[in-house]
Amino acid sequence: MADLREPVYLENKLAEVRDSGRLDYRSKSLPTWCPGCGYFSVAEGVTKALNDLHIANKDVTVVSGIGCASRFPFFTDTYGFHTLHGRTLPVATGIKVANDDLTVIVVGGDGDAFAIGGGHIPHAARRNVDITYLLFDNGIYGLTKGQTSPTSVHGFKTGTSPFENQDQPLNPLMMLLSYGSSWVGQAYAGEPHHLADMIAKAVTHRGFSYLHILSPCVTFDKTSMTYSNLNMMVRDLPENHDTSDMMAAMKEAATVDHPALGVFYEEARPTLADGFDEIIRRAQGRAAGPAAVAAE
Amino acid sequence: MAASQHYVIIGNGVAGNEAASCLRAQDKDSRITLITAGRLLFYNRYELPRIFHEECDWRDFLVHEPEYYADNHIDVRRNSFVTSVDSAGKTLTLAHKESLAYDQLLVASGGGSYLPEELVESRHLLDHFNTYRAARKVEQSLPPGGRVVMLGGDVLGLDLARNLVWEDYKVTLVAADQTFWPHRPDEETRAKFLKVLEDMGMEIIDGVRPIRVEEGGKGMSARKVVLQDGRELFADVVMPFYGLSPSVDFMLGSGVDIERGLLVNPQLRTTDSSIWAAGDVCQIWSAEENSYRFYYGWKNVKHMGEIAARNMMGEDVEVDTHPDEGLRVNDKGELDSPFWEYD
Amino acid sequence: MNNTDFQIAICGSAGDGTIAAGDVMKRAMARAGFKVIAFDIYPPEIRGFGKCIARIRVTTEQVYSLKHHSDILVSLNDSHAIPHVPEVGRYGAVIYDQSAIAAVAEGEHISGHVQPDHLPYSLPLREISEQTTGSARSRNIVVLGYVAGLYDLPKDAFHDIIQEKFGRKAASIVESNIKAFEAGYALGADTFKLDFIQVGKPADKVNGNQVVMMTGNAAVVRGSLDAGLDAYFGYPITPATSIMEMLATELPKRGGRLLQTEDEIAALAATVGAGYAGARAATATSGPGLALMVEMLGLGVMAEVPSVIFVSQRGGPSTGMPTKTEQSDLHLAVFGGAGDCQRIVMAPTNVEGAYRCAGKAFEMAEKYQTPVIVLLDLYLSNRYETVILPKVNPFEPDSSKGRSASDPNKPYQRFAATDDHISPRAVPGEDGAIHTVTGLEHNELGRPNDQPDNHVRMSDKRHLKLQQALSHPGITIHKRFGDEGPVDVGILGWGSTFGEILEAMFLAREEGIRCSAMKAVMLSPLPVEPIKAFFDDCGAVLVPELNYEGQFANLVMSQIGRPVTRLNRVPGVPMKVSDILDEIRMLAERNRAVAAE
Repeated sequence: MADLREPVYLENKLAEVRDSGRLDYRSKSLPTWCPGCGYFSVAEGVTKALNDLHIANKDVTVVSGIGCASRFPFFTDTYGFHTLHGRTLPVATGIKVANDDLTVIVVGGDGDAFAIGGGHIPHAARRNVDITYLLFDNGIYGLTKGQTSPTSVHGFKTGTSPFENQDQPLNPLMMLLSYGSSWVGQAYAGEPHHLADMIAKAVTHRGFSYLHILSPCVTFDKTSMTYSNLNMMVRDLPENHDTSDMMAAMKEAATVDHPALGVFYEEARPTLADGFDEIIRRAQGRAAGPAAVAAE
Repeated sequence: MAASQHYVIIGNGVAGNEAASCLRAQDKDSRITLITAGRLLFYNRYELPRIFHEECDWRDFLVHEPEYYADNHIDVRRNSFVTSVDSAGKTLTLAHKESLAYDQLLVASGGGSYLPEELVESRHLLDHFNTYRAARKVEQSLPPGGRVVMLGGDVLGLDLARNLVWEDYKVTLVAADQTFWPHRPDEETRAKFLKVLEDMGMEIIDGVRPIRVEEGGKGMSARKVVLQDGRELFADVVMPFYGLSPSVDFMLGSGVDIERGLLVNPQLRTTDSSIWAAGDVCQIWSAEENSYRFYYGWKNVKHMGEIAARNMMGEDVEVDTHPDEGLRVNDKGELDSPFWEYD
Repeated sequence: MNNTDFQIAICGSAGDGTIAAGDVMKRAMARAGFKVIAFDIYPPEIRGFGKCIARIRVTTEQVYSLKHHSDILVSLNDSHAIPHVPEVGRYGAVIYDQSAIAAVAEGEHISGHVQPDHLPYSLPLREISEQTTGSARSRNIVVLGYVAGLYDLPKDAFHDIIQEKFGRKAASIVESNIKAFEAGYALGADTFKLDFIQVGKPADKVNGNQVVMMTGNAAVVRGSLDAGLDAYFGYPITPATSIMEMLATELPKRGGRLLQTEDEIAALAATVGAGYAGARAATATSGPGLALMVEMLGLGVMAEVPSVIFVSQRGGPSTGMPTKTEQSDLHLAVFGGAGDCQRIVMAPTNVEGAYRCAGKAFEMAEKYQTPVIVLLDLYLSNRYETVILPKVNPFEPDSSKGRSASDPNKPYQRFAATDDHISPRAVPGEDGAIHTVTGLEHNELGRPNDQPDNHVRMSDKRHLKLQQALSHPGITIHKRFGDEGPVDVGILGWGSTFGEILEAMFLAREEGIRCSAMKAVMLSPLPVEPIKAFFDDCGAVLVPELNYEGQFANLVMSQIGRPVTRLNRVPGVPMKVSDILDEIRMLAERNRAVAAE
């Protein structure tokens, strides 16, 4: 963690933000999240990354599902589609199929992704849809006021698990690696600069990029994924980590007691759109014409 | 008689259908199956000459509407060919290898027209009048006023011949031994009857045999009959009428006695107690004549159908072997026969 | 006699080439210029010896359905065909193989089941096939040849189709099938014809328009392509799969994209995503798939995103009867979903209608910013009809009310209030119109808003805009046939059953019953006024449909408020014309009795 060696004055900070142009990516709606929520860092990170990458607002679409993360599109000044619980990835896939020029950022929480939406993730990943999936993992259902999620720890006590959660949590990083996600990384809301940097890398990646963001829920989780716990647990990936080494990435992802931050894995391979181009090339190489259909 | 028999009748003619209707009239429960090679339900062959002067199709010749068979629970298996009969096992086998069990079997398969050996090779150029199809073909082949050469001239043929003459077609009769068959008139009577036919408008050629039939050739009539003496007769249609030979092929090997037809006693039972015969297919024992003989004609055949049916159901009745069957000359001076009567 | 109208049913087991024979038959007759309606019934098993029936009706005049009675039944497998003997009409032909391989038990051969009013044709099919091709496998083609010979059907057309159908395999296969056909033809031509089937000359082709034979599903594909389909997302499900398979070949040829998704939820989600991004996008499914799509349908309604969903119904509920036809997804298609989420639902009644509804669905989805369901069923999806396609593409390539329709000087409002309740729609990538859409209730800007007046206003907007679909140009929303003015009996129908309804109505009129039939192509919103007017004219209104609950009758009664007589059948096969006719007679009699009192 970066120590605050110098005092930070609000006026200076505001001026810096205003001058950066980042505010161009913020809408006039104020986020509805609780004070202290990790999601503020993500919103900051996204606006900074888009600004740094000089992507025009009109060419960005943010797609969200249901959950605390889902209000995200309302807080950015980009196109947005607030869809249904768990259905972000197929909607985003449709958007990319229709217009591959758009930068599509999908946001969602651990429940939206791995509970109701779990069936869609492998397919978006294996197809290498050129989107960025920002997964806000707080290990709890916050919007419905605190229930267990698929990433809640064993023994977690919530409104729906008063006698403690008996299920094992998923390991999303290992899942995404095995699904064939062509970019897998992890960041932490408590380290906003690194987070913004990782978001920029994920957006830059051509293909499906999965960024797992550890993001404490300050309201409903006082015991598990808190800032104080995570501050002690997180670590950087080893300096010599080879991002093209799938087994090394798996090994790092398996270390859940001390989550590593950084890029676990990346590979360049044809995207869904590349595949379409190939199919169209092959189809048009064949004799085209309505006759074939008419004959049916 | 035991209840619920399966009566199987082979043949869809007058005898078979008369038997079926008698059986059903007296036995409501038994199963009746009628098997025929033909495609059509029972129709009246005696009416077929109507083809020449009426707009009609085969439906107009049906004796019963199709509903009759459904209403009377008579199964008619048409376009089916009996290949063998196993009298010991009381089953018969059809060409498509289906076997059918019977309790009582009536063979009423009739007869096919007999053809002298020298004409066998010309068979494809000859026409018949024994089925609707054959009759329709004759009708289509004959232009108005067209010529028919009739070879032989049995009573069936003569019936047609008089109808053709009435319809203003030209008929040439090449007479033979079988002319007037099954009657065997003496020389004098034969000559008299031939004269009557000539008076009725037919051309008569007697005493010379046809040796072959040929295609007529371009610009000529469709057929040419070559006679033994080298004469050639041109015609649109050539029809052989040399009498009938019983259709009994499928009964060979069945174990019942066959001479030319199936041999039956006056009750129409064959030498097998469950197999009966009626109509043109059977020869009936005549005690007076001390021989088996055939009986033809609509009335006789119908009578046989009835007698066979009654005996199959356990009665003991004999056929009348003294029918009035002589050829005669009627009031109009035309040849006539009780064979040609029907109601 | 120039009026051809005969129906042949070919029945056999899966290994007999039954469907293939039917295919050659229908293509040959269509090639020769006849009008053809054909429907095959397959077994649900993927392999095995289940029953297959190919039924083909060949006519010179336009007809609307298969006939209840076939004129010709061909048996390639007696145990399958025997139950179908009663469907042969009076003096119709039953054609079968007499060359059995092994002994047949009493009663198991079809010849014993031919009814007295049928004409049996007992043929040595196996022998002929073996003699001409060396194998018994061409029995199906031999018998086709026989039928062609017997009825003097145009031989060249059969040759062409055999060439096309088997040409992809090997020359020797074409050759042996032609030989088999010719052998059958010779026998047929030589057979004395006893039945009354007349084959006249087909009509001349229609003024430059294209006459093609296609299935309902192929018509959906053709309509979609003509309407400029950009993207298709789907998940395989009987009986809709062939739509996706045909598009998989054809769409990329036109530069379009097709994606097989992980489930139906994703299929409609991606379709909505693509629609949101401005594409003409579609998916196709059956009832079970539509059940999964319902939540996304609601999102499409709420977020006002265009999408087109082709639904081919099959027997239900649940997995039901995948290879049987039924019209039991009307409730789901019209009402399915959370909240008041009206969408457009159209149900074509024939193959040509399937083409038109398919294309128009894209116009409507785009114009009214809504999901549009085109409701077919297995019978319509799989049946073949000869149809006339217009020379000129009848579909608008762009029917969107775009951003340019809004005032450029005012901030862009995605859900702006307008006179026609349709808001100018911008899509991602457009300048100056950035907005977010949501499944939450929202205000004109698209911001979440659950205030009472807002919800009332937006509910109005979402429902009222759809009313305009009732006067959408270039498509028949409803139509009345038969007698005009007051009638004893009116038959109100929808979907594929309307063909049987028309046949029954014409037969009833021949019997002197005053009646007319009305089809409702658009089921949501329902054309209430024209249906009311129809009720005004009818002594009684009959609603025949292939479902148990009378789903369309329920819909009509709830919106028209008048009683109907229901005729519901769920046999899994098309409704019998005779069932409808019986009901018409009964109602006509009752109506006359009431009038006499």
